[in-house]
Amino acid sequence: MNFIFEGLQKGCSLIGSGDAEIYSVVKLSLSVSFFATAASVLIGVPLGSLIAVKKFPLKKLVISLVNTGMGLPPVVVGLLVMLFLSRSGPMGFLGWLYTPAGMALAQIIIATPVIAGLSLSAMQSLDPKFYLQMLTLGASSTQALLACLKEIRLSILAAVIAGFGSVISEVGAVMIVGGNIRHQTRVLTTSIVMETHMGNFDTAIALGLILLGLTFLINLALTFIQQQKARTQ
Amino acid sequence: MIKLGNLDFQLSSGFSLEIGALNVREGEVLSIIGPNGAGKTTLLNIFALLQEIRTGSLEIMGRDAREPANKISLRRAMSYVFSRPYLADDTVANNVALPLKFRGLRDAGRTAEMLELFKITGLRDRNANQLSQGERHRVSLARAFVTRPRLVLLDEPFSSLDARVRETIICDLRKIIRAAGTTVLLVTQDQGEALALADTLAVMKAGRLLQRAGPAEIFARPASKDVADFVGVETILPGTVTKNEDNLCSVEAGGKTLEVIADCAPGDGVYVCVRPEHVSVSRTPEAGSMRNHLSAKIVSVEPWGLEYKAGLDCGFSLMAAVTKQSVDALGLKPGLEVFASFKATAAHLIKR
Repeated sequence: MNFIFEGLQKGCSLIGSGDAEIYSVVKLSLSVSFFATAASVLIGVPLGSLIAVKKFPLKKLVISLVNTGMGLPPVVVGLLVMLFLSRSGPMGFLGWLYTPAGMALAQIIIATPVIAGLSLSAMQSLDPKFYLQMLTLGASSTQALLACLKEIRLSILAAVIAGFGSVISEVGAVMIVGGNIRHQTRVLTTSIVMETHMGNFDTAIALGLILLGLTFLINLALTFIQQQKARTQ
Repeated sequence: MIKLGNLDFQLSSGFSLEIGALNVREGEVLSIIGPNGAGKTTLLNIFALLQEIRTGSLEIMGRDAREPANKISLRRAMSYVFSRPYLADDTVANNVALPLKFRGLRDAGRTAEMLELFKITGLRDRNANQLSQGERHRVSLARAFVTRPRLVLLDEPFSSLDARVRETIICDLRKIIRAAGTTVLLVTQDQGEALALADTLAVMKAGRLLQRAGPAEIFARPASKDVADFVGVETILPGTVTKNEDNLCSVEAGGKTLEVIADCAPGDGVYVCVRPEHVSVSRTPEAGSMRNHLSAKIVSVEPWGLEYKAGLDCGFSLMAAVTKQSVDALGLKPGLEVFASFKATAAHLIKR
């Protein structure tokens, strides 16, 4: 048990020491995750909402696909993205393999179905007549959709929290696509795996604490906004 | 304002709506009445361009409503009030201003005017979720009128309100509609609401338009047995015309000979329709202008709104509306032998 406490102790001092390498890892983790979450929100929220309000053939099949996407294994996503981005792959010309852009792409593929699925479900919980009522008040389809999204904003925020959680804590896909290259694609999760394999438990624990702390702070901020809005309703 | 022709519309549930023609003139208040499942709301949804029709023609405000390019501009010239008010999670003022916002307009004066008109100025900063049902309906109506629509579609907008609130809102709405000259289509199952607001009535059943006329005509002269049934004619007797002398017809019905003013030929199969309020009950045969006097036995005496309804057995079942005063004065109770009378003009014949 001692090595755990020692690891915690060393971890805390490492955080306090202001190690430049650790901060660059944190910075990359946050920037990739924020970008991936933002892109997933921009794609997932309209996609989920449109699937919910529009009538089209095979709608149930499409909803099943989105729901399946919510449980995509990150390692499989990483593998497929790597194959697509590899030199001989169809997207090899982008040169994104082993770059933060490639890592963000993998994370977008993981987070988008999560956000789309939760948005879809939130939109379906809203009475469909609300959308029709907005149309009859003179709204265009986009205005009516935005009015509906405003109604379910708390659930959309929950979808954003879930989407962010799925990318900040993800390791398999970023490891495969990013390659965990020092100063280039190393993020918190891949660093933890690497330090653990090397037996540097104190560093792994320090990074783990940072990851937990960051996730907690970001979720706290989002939850605070969500609950403030809930209180005003 | 609206010209609908040869509509043959099918819902995925198999329900079909078939209407040969229905025209609504500018400024008319038309109430579409009928039982549940008649297709009233589906028809309103078609006028609101929420349901696309594949057969038939629909012209609204002189423009082809089937043309997709006209959809948004036509919707912006009308308003639709659903039976349940779907308000946004926002203040009352912002809810009322929402249609203006959708049109890219900002008109605080008009919003304030609507709040005033519908008596909700005091609620302007309250969240819509904190309102009572009656207040929500007022907000919904104010929102519908804020853009000065030429056409307003109302789908049972008062169904969830208690009688007192309903009466007040209907009274206010009637004044607003008349003042603005708005064309209104009101769907309701409540004949009282229809009579309070409408110039004309259209009765629907099972996806068909059965009769369209003024309220007096529909209630006094229903065109079919279904219409008579829906508008509260409780005595509908099958019979045969035996004689016609200057439109005074003798009809054999229920084992009796009844006299009815109508234009029918001897031998015609008819339904004799008598409204409860046209039947008079007395302990002795009534002298006077009534041509139909029947001895009857009271079967039941039940409360009916502010009055009572007596079920009479005259060889056939006849319903009569009686006041509380009459029930007490005549001692009306089941088993009592009485006389039932009604005028030849009070009964109506529908050809079978």
